[in-house]
Amino acid sequence: MTLDTSLGTDPATGSDRGAGSTQAGRGASTAPRPAGRRPAKRLADWRQRAEIAVLAGPAVIVFVTFVILPVAMAAYYGFFKWQGYGPPTDFVGLQNYVIIFQDQAFRSVLMHNGFIVVLSLVLQGPIAIVLALLLNQKMHGRGLIRVLVFVPYVISEVIVGTGWSLLLQSNGAVNDLLQGIGLGGLRADWLSNPDIAIWTLLVIISWKYIGFAVILFLAGLQSIPEELFEAAAIDGAGYWQIQRRITLPLLGPTIRIWAFLSIIGSLQLFDLVYIIWGQYIASTAGTSTMATYMVANGRTSGNYGFGSAVAVVMFIISLAVALIYQRFVLRRDTAGAITEGKK
Amino acid sequence: MTRKNRFAAAIAIAAGTALLATGCSSGGAADDGSGNGKVTMTFWHNSTTGPGKAYWADTVKAFEKKNPNVTIKIQAIQNEDLDGKLQTALNSGDGPDVFLQRGGGKLNAMINAGQLLDIKDSISADAKKSISAGTFSGYDAKDGTYAMPVAVLPEGIWYSKDLFEKAGITGTPTTMDELNDDIAKLKDSGVDPVAVGAKDAWPAAHWYYNFALRACSEKTLTGAAESLKFDNACWAKAGKDLEAFNDTKPFNDGFLTTAAQQGAGSSAGLLANHKAAMELMGAWDPGVISSLTPDAKPLPDLGWFPFPAVSGGKGDPKSMMGGVDGYSCTAKAPKKACTDFLNFIVQKDNQEGYYKAFQAIPVNQDAQSVVSESYLKTALAAYKDAPFVSQYLDTLYGQNVGNALNTSVVDVLAGKGNAKDIVTATNQAAAKG
Repeated sequence: MTLDTSLGTDPATGSDRGAGSTQAGRGASTAPRPAGRRPAKRLADWRQRAEIAVLAGPAVIVFVTFVILPVAMAAYYGFFKWQGYGPPTDFVGLQNYVIIFQDQAFRSVLMHNGFIVVLSLVLQGPIAIVLALLLNQKMHGRGLIRVLVFVPYVISEVIVGTGWSLLLQSNGAVNDLLQGIGLGGLRADWLSNPDIAIWTLLVIISWKYIGFAVILFLAGLQSIPEELFEAAAIDGAGYWQIQRRITLPLLGPTIRIWAFLSIIGSLQLFDLVYIIWGQYIASTAGTSTMATYMVANGRTSGNYGFGSAVAVVMFIISLAVALIYQRFVLRRDTAGAITEGKK
Repeated sequence: MTRKNRFAAAIAIAAGTALLATGCSSGGAADDGSGNGKVTMTFWHNSTTGPGKAYWADTVKAFEKKNPNVTIKIQAIQNEDLDGKLQTALNSGDGPDVFLQRGGGKLNAMINAGQLLDIKDSISADAKKSISAGTFSGYDAKDGTYAMPVAVLPEGIWYSKDLFEKAGITGTPTTMDELNDDIAKLKDSGVDPVAVGAKDAWPAAHWYYNFALRACSEKTLTGAAESLKFDNACWAKAGKDLEAFNDTKPFNDGFLTTAAQQGAGSSAGLLANHKAAMELMGAWDPGVISSLTPDAKPLPDLGWFPFPAVSGGKGDPKSMMGGVDGYSCTAKAPKKACTDFLNFIVQKDNQEGYYKAFQAIPVNQDAQSVVSESYLKTALAAYKDAPFVSQYLDTLYGQNVGNALNTSVVDVLAGKGNAKDIVTATNQAAAKG
């Protein structure tokens, strides 16, 4: 599971490099052939090339058309003031980027994203590890609880967003429940009070995505050999000692991959915010993210040039974070799989 | 190895280009069929259900009967999807011939991109006679006229007569002081005085528009559409008036996450279910409210009064905010057939049909006599009496500035900004577009 996911995050590099090294291996073995059989070799070369073209072609086409090309076009449009009608003509150079970094709203958006990145890790990580440890014990109803923990992750973001926004309305079920059990003093405008809203968002995110972390950690736990626990127990280690000295270190690769996915997800957070707070008021409620800023100032405002520039900034930030994380944190886990690796 | 890979990549790219090229070239050939005098047009509108959809189908059929050489293909597109699809279609040169025009900044962008047909010389004498020149003015630009208006949507405050009566209110408020008194009485009677769908931003911003309409002169309001500068002191005064009004806490609980039109919890829904007593909205509101009442029928005690007078401003107390719905022809449309169709839909009987289908005030003054609901009659009378009808400011100032204006008003209502910030945000937004 872990390996799959790590490959999945970067299909292009993963598969390209894989294919490349295979080819290199085959090329090396076919190289020392007698000089007299050149035509046959040529044929083999052609076959090989056709093979690469046929097998890699569709993926390359899709990747170029739907990933590389849009990124390049966004970069191009980002240099224009453009309302989206007719071809862009009003070239403004880097002005869009200057405006972005001078915009107070963009700075607060970065703060929100940073807040969500950090607190998602801090909140979800420990809780998910504890839950995973708990669910790794043999106990009654374990399967059911595992399913229940995982259910929120399976439900679509739109349904989660709509459901929570109905529950958390000022006259919604949550406030009614608080009133009903005598905690009326805790009633609050969960979504519309700018001081509370981002915490509400954080709780919803945690509720939604913690199941994913738990499943990852459970899979990681299952891969730790039973003998280590037995040996530790025989050596007299207590339960907590075993968890701290054996489980956590061996769970390390899984935790690091989960953290990577969580960070990237937090940076690109869009759907939940957009569903709950709509197109306009996320910045007022203090829950706007880079992606909602892009939509609000790009599409909703009809500034397609400016919006493209925001998309480029967002792309660069996410890419930088991903590369730094891969270089410094994931390196030991993925050596040979994603990175070139020392054999 | 590198050479091999490069070669493979070249093949892949060539194959991809070929695939794309063949994929793109199929279909899309437009047939205007002008060779044999027959003309086919496509027509995009946003009435996907009910009487509105039927109205357009019938009207097109009647037009085709009168003009046997013209065929019109109708495409009804969900309102929220319409603008995006239209933009893509217009840019790819594959747009409709006739379509619902939103006006304002979008209209200007289409005109500047050369995508619209100037219909000025083709407007029939009939249409010119029956539609007031002021109604056309929103569609005038660069010495041309780029759309045919079909309905006027003046704004005012829609209220529940029953809830007003229960709170002991007689008559309707004409000044801010009276409105504030009524709000206090309504609060005492246990209902939310004013519903506002701030989640959609524009309904909240309409409060600011009306304060600005009272504070600023006509010249300032229309002049800002050109300059996009909001330095006149009246913009700040309007913000202060809004703040003062907001300080009386007139709005429903949790208004920030209240939508305008969807469901019983929306601002229109609150009014429809007697949870709130008033809502500031354009003349499309009765239709929305009727769809949200418990029995999905028109609200029997619905009433209307104009936005109250505000002291100390430069605007005329009888001026109104109001929108106009209209239809445009695209530049590639067959001129005669398309303008004939536009002239046809504003004829008296078609306009009466429009009113019946949409519950909206028709632009044709001869057709306006069929309006029978008391609230629409009051709104229409006030509209005719108004010395100046301003387009909604977000339309007038274009999507970009309009959007910034709307969200900054919401910030003020939520206590996250002040009157000054509205002006700053609006001035800043002008730089992005």
